Amino acid sequence: MEKYRTAITIGLVGAAITLLFGGWSMILVGTVVGAITGLNYGQHSAKRGALDKAREVLLPALIGNIIMGLGGTLYTFVVVPLTGKSLNYDQPLKLGTGRVPLDSIAVFIIGLAAGIAIGVAVAALIAYLQGLPENVRRVAFIASLIVFLFGLPFFDQVTGLDWIAAIITIQIFILLALGLNIVVGYAGLLDLGYAAFFAIGAYTTGLLSSPQIDIYWNFWLVIWVAAAMAAFAGLVLGAPTLPLRGDYLAIVTLGFGEIIPVVFRNLISVKLVEPFTRICFVGCDPKVDVVRWCIYACQGALDLTAGEKGINPIGRPMIPFTDELLFSSRSYLPWYFLVFGLIVLSIFFIRRLRNSRIGRAWMAIREDELAASQMGIDPVKTKLLAFSMGATFSGFAGAFYGSYISAIFPSVFDFSVSVIILCMVILGGLGNMVGVIIGGILIMGTDRLFLPQIATLLKDFMRHSVLGNVSNPVLKDFLEISVDPNQMRLAIFGLVLVIMMVVRPEGLVPSEERRAELHEGEEEHGDAATEAAA
Amino acid sequence: MTNTILSANKVTKRFGGLTAVNSVNIEVKENSIHSVIGPNGAGKTTFFNCLTGFYKPEEGELLFNGHSLVGLRSDQIIVLGIARTYQNIRLFANLTALDNVLIGQHIHLKAGWLGSALRFPGIVREEKTALLEANRLLKFVGLGNKGNHIAKNLSYGDQRRLEIARALASKPKLLLLDEPTAGMNPHETEEATIFFRNLRDELNITIVLIEHDMRVVMGISEIISVLDYGQKIAEGTPKEIQNNAQVIEAYLGRGSAGNIGKDPAVVAKEA
Repeated sequence: MEKYRTAITIGLVGAAITLLFGGWSMILVGTVVGAITGLNYGQHSAKRGALDKAREVLLPALIGNIIMGLGGTLYTFVVVPLTGKSLNYDQPLKLGTGRVPLDSIAVFIIGLAAGIAIGVAVAALIAYLQGLPENVRRVAFIASLIVFLFGLPFFDQVTGLDWIAAIITIQIFILLALGLNIVVGYAGLLDLGYAAFFAIGAYTTGLLSSPQIDIYWNFWLVIWVAAAMAAFAGLVLGAPTLPLRGDYLAIVTLGFGEIIPVVFRNLISVKLVEPFTRICFVGCDPKVDVVRWCIYACQGALDLTAGEKGINPIGRPMIPFTDELLFSSRSYLPWYFLVFGLIVLSIFFIRRLRNSRIGRAWMAIREDELAASQMGIDPVKTKLLAFSMGATFSGFAGAFYGSYISAIFPSVFDFSVSVIILCMVILGGLGNMVGVIIGGILIMGTDRLFLPQIATLLKDFMRHSVLGNVSNPVLKDFLEISVDPNQMRLAIFGLVLVIMMVVRPEGLVPSEERRAELHEGEEEHGDAATEAAA
Repeated sequence: MTNTILSANKVTKRFGGLTAVNSVNIEVKENSIHSVIGPNGAGKTTFFNCLTGFYKPEEGELLFNGHSLVGLRSDQIIVLGIARTYQNIRLFANLTALDNVLIGQHIHLKAGWLGSALRFPGIVREEKTALLEANRLLKFVGLGNKGNHIAKNLSYGDQRRLEIARALASKPKLLLLDEPTAGMNPHETEEATIFFRNLRDELNITIVLIEHDMRVVMGISEIISVLDYGQKIAEGTPKEIQNNAQVIEAYLGRGSAGNIGKDPAVVAKEA
């Protein structure tokens, strides 16, 4: 039983997801469950041969996926009737322009069978890859990941699962988290106002490609300007504050994060007049007829950001020789692949930076600032670089976000965004990019996919099965309005963060160094215990 | 003999009312092994901290090869060629031994952020050379097979060696060792002593040593300066220092002058 514990845990997590989405989601979740099981058992397997590893993983993967399938079964036969949906409602399969109508029982059977079969196959494949020599394994592993990520949006489209909008948001936040990881994870600077740079990137894009002040620059140019503006803001904020340490820096960044959205909210009547010279020529009354040189917006005050109404619409990217409307609000695929590309590029460059003189300097500063400076590392310059580098990625993400949503409001960039991005970095594992990505998927997935779905199901469930039986009007009101997981999302994140800090402070997938740092005492303790047992 | 590589002239460092280093003059000859000794709290480490730019002395001047050190930041001083180790080890504890030594080479590498991100051919070459050099240094201090270990997991003696390797990576002309044998057993101490002498002989590095272990001090120093309450009370060859009444008084208190002529370590034991 011990042997299958991991598989059962993974299966239970999968079941929790299929319980919410049922049907087609079982194929997707099955694949992921299979992949994780394969990875886990392949790595820990005592067997050396690739085929042996694959054979060994078959049973655990089957168990995990059957548990996963139980979630879908419950969805079909319990959740659906309880929420008032008929078991015969159609979940059409979209193939090209045609639709294949299927009732939900058929979808359930196909989803369950395919989910389990594909899950086990994927587990075997991944375990098999683990047994191959290092260089082959690497290539094969990346290749299978790419196949999965390329297939994902098409699967989503064909089955009408409709996750793609949420997935693109998740991607954008992963990009943000990767940038913040440079600042917090590598250089060890606690930045609580990271959303400010996100806002600067988005508003730069908004200003330079919208009817707001009638500038329509090309997206491919604007995205660089936005990143540069964010980097510049990072320098301006960092230069006076980075000599501060720890808590003080956190407070300053917190303030900055609060100020920036307010600034954008208030830039609705801008006119720049130089404040020093006051010109009055002969024959005029110096109290009334003074002329001051105007620098900007001389014809009349300009509304730069439209305050709370936000900038709307914002220009979209165009690719030469393709349909002008390739990137529209209803076609998600180009967006998906565009951010996907951005993320891959970011990982590529950040990895290189991390393993270079610059990355080592960042980590040296994080470890011991004094010793680092006596090794010839200029602390202020190095921290400044990390800070503005993180801001650059945030600027990229902001530019993309503005263009994707096509409307930006100051309230989108408030403090909770900074905190959520920080949560991703900490949950996944400070300083480890794989961890940060997983943290991003978990937190944003919960935020944009699972919580809304739970909310919908709960609402339907209340309306269909509960409210009719409640006579007390106060209780009824409470159940109808206040039981809303969407409103509790920040509380849930806070709870998760506290639990994580207690149970696993190094994050889900920690970097080697962090693990060493946080668990050294325990390992020694564990060693002593084993020795004592022996 | 040879040129003076480092000269401290009336260096004074105060902390409020306490004068930690009081008008100290020390001249270090090139290629020598120069020890700075004194009872606890005598101002030895503070003197080192003035040399490496961590503290700025209130008065006096510090000249290294003709450059004034006063007012320079730590990261500028190492470029001139002064590297140090610490009394309580200050490695980059959660990084590998290899990374620690690579960070030591920081000032000799040129890669900027753009170069690192795009990996120009020159940068790749530089990084390869740096890696070879780091491995060579690790081997030199006897950590050849421990490059991938996380620094904090190394044994105490190995951490001390790694600190020296990291300091050597900056190719210093002057190496400041702050109690390098503290916490070592006699056997390790002996090895370390031989190692320091090799450093000087093979790499032509001048060494300034703060040390409490008199066997080490008397064994390898050419010149010894003695500090007490921030002031230099004596200077000379080991022989001269052993016979200096003031030094013995500083270590053992008044009335011990009768022990003149004996090794202070022996005196200490007898007492």
